[in-house]
Amino acid sequence: MRPPIEFLLPPELGIELLYSFVIVICSLMIYRATREMYELSSYKGIQYFRRAFLFFAIAYFFRYSIKYLIFFFNLQEIIELNPHAIGNLSLFIFLYSSFMAMFYLLYSVMWKKWSHTPIKVLLINSAALLLAFLGVISHSQEMSIFLNAALLVAISFVFSKAYHESHNKEKGKGLYFIYFLLVLFWILNIIDILLPRFLHIYQIGIYLVSTFLFMAILYKVLKRSGN
Amino acid sequence: MAKRGKLEIMRDILTMVQSNRNYMRPTPLLRKSKMTTARFKEYYSELTLRGLLKEVTDEHQDRFLMVTDKGFRFLERYRTIVDFIDEFEL
Repeated sequence: MRPPIEFLLPPELGIELLYSFVIVICSLMIYRATREMYELSSYKGIQYFRRAFLFFAIAYFFRYSIKYLIFFFNLQEIIELNPHAIGNLSLFIFLYSSFMAMFYLLYSVMWKKWSHTPIKVLLINSAALLLAFLGVISHSQEMSIFLNAALLVAISFVFSKAYHESHNKEKGKGLYFIYFLLVLFWILNIIDILLPRFLHIYQIGIYLVSTFLFMAILYKVLKRSGN
Repeated sequence: MAKRGKLEIMRDILTMVQSNRNYMRPTPLLRKSKMTTARFKEYYSELTLRGLLKEVTDEHQDRFLMVTDKGFRFLERYRTIVDFIDEFEL
């Protein structure tokens, strides 16, 4: 008799795996669907938009999928892996990619106003690396909440500025609202991974809303890119 | 807005060459584009660099411009690209 699926995979892990799989697939589909448009136009806004979703895919791959890959393919038996080091490394990549994804999402709507200099990109990369490093080494609840709240305030400010300067207010309204929700739920995701017990009760809700937001953006992208 | 103008200009240049049986000398193209020489050169090198436009030389060593397959694809997809940029405020 075949074992029930719960025996193979505990339900909460199954939900996490499904959730991460949907986010990774949606992000990669967005990246793929916009490839031709970018190759033909070399338009910077499209390039930053694509990068944002590539970083989202990397972040989610390292958040969940990697541990299942190690588990399913029995990699820990083939090569000697230190679970603590792997955990910290995947957390570091997840945090770094998350911050970079948020930065590129912001940059895709603000690049015309912000002058592009390699030093700025280097500074943003350094800031993302520093935040990721702080996230890994700091186990303080206050510190994590403070950092993410500061990030949310900064991003909300930029989005509200972008919305006010938008040339098409009616269209922009819905778009910035989706972006704002995406960032909000992304930050809740970061808090959830740094402080697993803090938002445990709302976890499924966060997963569902994040998935819905990604699917809404994917739908818009596929519709508009003619795919 | 400036960048949008750039895509439009690129489309206009490609359309001019395409509507001239896809074979046009640079000088009449410059005249038709109503741009300064410096600006035209900028677009010209960008279009050729990106492979949307190519330069060919005939047996008399005269230079002509032709829209490439990628250039035709750009013209086909132009409206979609612009709508996408508009939709996501990029």
